[in-house]
Amino acid sequence: MAPPAGKRVKGVQVFRPFVYGTTARPFDEKTNPKPPGVPDDHTHSWMVFVKGIDDVDVTYWLRRVQFKLHESIPNHVRMIEGEKGKPFQIHETGWGEFEITIKLYYVPESGEKPQTLYHHLRLHPYGRTEEEKETMRLNGGEVISWVYEEQIFNEPYEAFYDVLTSGALPIPGAAASKAGGKGKGSAKGKEQEAQRSEGGVLERSAMIPMTNRPGQPFSRETEQLEVKKLQEAMMKVQEMTKKMAVELEKKNQRMQELRAESVKTA
Amino acid sequence: MASHDLRDVLSLPSDQAAGPRPSKKQKINTPRPNLKGLAREVQNLSGDNPISIVPEVNVFKKRRYASRKPAARWEHRAFYNSGRGDDGALVLRHWRRKEEPETTEPAQTVGEEGAESASEGEKKPQIEDSAFSKYNVRVAVPQYSEDQYSSNLENANWTKEETDYLLELARDYDIRWPIIWDRYDFTPKSAPGENVEDESKAVVPASQTRTVEDLKARYYEVAAKMMAVQKPAQYMTRPEFELYEIMQNFDPAQEKARKEFALNTMSRSKDEAREEEALLLEIKRILARTEHFNEERRELYNRLDYPSTDADISTFKGSQGLQLLLHNLMNVDKSKKRRPIGPGDGQSPATAVPGSAASESGPNRRESIAASVPGHRDSIAGTPATPVEPVSAANKKKGAPQPERRKLTTLEEQTYGVSYHDRLGSGPTFRYEKINKLYSHKSGQQQARITNVLAELDIPARLTMPTASVSQHFESLWGAVIKLVDLRKASDRLDADIKLEEAKHAEIAKARAARGDDGSNIQKSVEGGVPNGTAGIASPAASRAGSRPGSRPSTRAGGGDPAPDPGEGQDKDRLSVRPGSSGAHKRSASVLSTTSDKSMKRQKK
Repeated sequence: MAPPAGKRVKGVQVFRPFVYGTTARPFDEKTNPKPPGVPDDHTHSWMVFVKGIDDVDVTYWLRRVQFKLHESIPNHVRMIEGEKGKPFQIHETGWGEFEITIKLYYVPESGEKPQTLYHHLRLHPYGRTEEEKETMRLNGGEVISWVYEEQIFNEPYEAFYDVLTSGALPIPGAAASKAGGKGKGSAKGKEQEAQRSEGGVLERSAMIPMTNRPGQPFSRETEQLEVKKLQEAMMKVQEMTKKMAVELEKKNQRMQELRAESVKTA
Repeated sequence: MASHDLRDVLSLPSDQAAGPRPSKKQKINTPRPNLKGLAREVQNLSGDNPISIVPEVNVFKKRRYASRKPAARWEHRAFYNSGRGDDGALVLRHWRRKEEPETTEPAQTVGEEGAESASEGEKKPQIEDSAFSKYNVRVAVPQYSEDQYSSNLENANWTKEETDYLLELARDYDIRWPIIWDRYDFTPKSAPGENVEDESKAVVPASQTRTVEDLKARYYEVAAKMMAVQKPAQYMTRPEFELYEIMQNFDPAQEKARKEFALNTMSRSKDEAREEEALLLEIKRILARTEHFNEERRELYNRLDYPSTDADISTFKGSQGLQLLLHNLMNVDKSKKRRPIGPGDGQSPATAVPGSAASESGPNRRESIAASVPGHRDSIAGTPATPVEPVSAANKKKGAPQPERRKLTTLEEQTYGVSYHDRLGSGPTFRYEKINKLYSHKSGQQQARITNVLAELDIPARLTMPTASVSQHFESLWGAVIKLVDLRKASDRLDADIKLEEAKHAEIAKARAARGDDGSNIQKSVEGGVPNGTAGIASPAASRAGSRPGSRPSTRAGGGDPAPDPGEGQDKDRLSVRPGSSGAHKRSASVLSTTSDKSMKRQKK
């Protein structure tokens, strides 16, 4: 991909949130019957995907995605071309977990090289605690391993910068001039504002939804929760550090005493 | 007057016809229907002709007994109004349709409120809420917590108490600013101690007088900020955002100016108003005149700088050629859609060109002017425009990148996730990569330690949402954890050292015991005698020991004992090494370093 004409926009960083991961379901007579033609030893159907947060379109910056599956799977390198408004995904069946290599190819305007992500396919409930595993088991046997990630474009090329910074909001100048017209302005302004997804995310924006919805676990809510958790951990660490420092001071003193003693006795 | 009367007057012989007439009259009289409702005299007035007024007879419709339902029942029912906020203490009565068991909805009309009823007894559970209570609505005034206030709403001009007071007033008076301003009387609570000391001091922080604009500005500021706190701007719907922007852009100064202006306008006298009007008219006229003047001037210029032609004009030399030229020029003028050209106007270019043609009658210039006439037309038409056009085009070319790189508003920056950094490696990366790097920059042992601490803190190995703020928090946590880990390491080392030292003491004591009891005595006296001194000497060593636990023995030797002969120090070290060998693994190295350090120090001395 030849870099497009133009310069990089210096000192600018633009990001886009997206989600990737896998969803797996064990075969089951009732809920998830094995389709014909699937080998006998396959125990799960699974799906690997890359998509925008809240299912918004990402194809304006992500052109295609290459999924490199396990070698034992026929045709194990799959290239998925972007289709507007649709996630990049692959459905497969199998019996084992392995690491999937996900390579993101960006739109030609970006002039950027593809980047690679690695994701472990999860078929069996996992988690740090039994409890977590249990909740996963309860969820109809569906094993979800989704990861939130932010694609950062550092100093994008000008053309790409324009792509990244347009489309979601009406351009202020244009909207104002139109609003100057009779009455139609406001209606037009509304047209210019991009559609919002169900979670209130504007198309072509870097927004994340305000609240969680079923099937959309990543939101500002989750973020706040995590920030809070980190802050609490921070407090704990500081407390521990303080305690440790006091202890260390004590030990130091003890050391001094001991040393002083030994000096005197010597 | 009847005809026989006339005959009578004229003393005409009354013919036969006259005879029966009166009788006829009588005849008519008898069958005359006796109209009801009219006095006889009035009826008589009508004379021969029957009266034309037909009095209307009111016949009432018959009652339709068939469709008649039993009369609606009404009852005097008690009700209360929840809007009063007295928890239903006041119970009034009004007339309402009695509800039949099958009728679902009683008429919504509310009767007049009856007399106050004192009885609430058995009807209490049935008492209904007044239909009007729903009109008792309160405005939503922004709420904030202590934290939110301190992080967002601090203002040098406003204390929290006063802000609270303002919002309370706004709530009480439903944001009716004139009333709020009227009632606004905030006296800051002075500190209790201050009040006692000096009364004059307590008066000093007296309430500032706030104008309506001040109040509004503060209120809108608080409201807008709280709105943004609850819902970042990029998530607001359009009406929400518009409201937010309006509140944010409130400019008290402008508002004040506006009011002043309005006040001025309204307090003008009639004469002043008239004068103003006259002046305005005058201005308008002047402006119009300048406009007109400018236009004329522009036109004049247009005419003056007709394109100089380097072209051949020989073709126009003849009268036919002139005619052609005139024709062309007229066409040009028409295509320009200027106001209708008068004969003088039309002629002037025509005459001007031949004039010039006559003056510059170079033979070689003639042909091409004819050729260029179509183009020539354009250039005349374009004279006002063409000099502008290329410039604007150039502007567009220059300006083209500008709209691309137009300054994004903060809203846009947030929406598009744009941020500015001093140093950036260009290219795409992932947010989580940075955190991964944090890990990979540490040694394996340290990584294990850090992950242990994080697990202790219940932080998952992979952040659920590595957004900018989360990863920032994580990084600071990371720093703290590393500090903690380092401290722990240092502490562990010290532990080992203390153990070592203690063992050494035990060894010495054993040696003393073998030699005799005197040693312990000395030791005790030393201990009791100079605790201060030891502490003083020890402190620099301590700090050094803390910073470089590995090289501790040498620092002790350097800083701890000023005088003793080196041989003994080495002896001690050897002693200390033996018992500690089980505990400290780095023994041999530290001993080596001690000796080498010592030798170096000796060299320095």
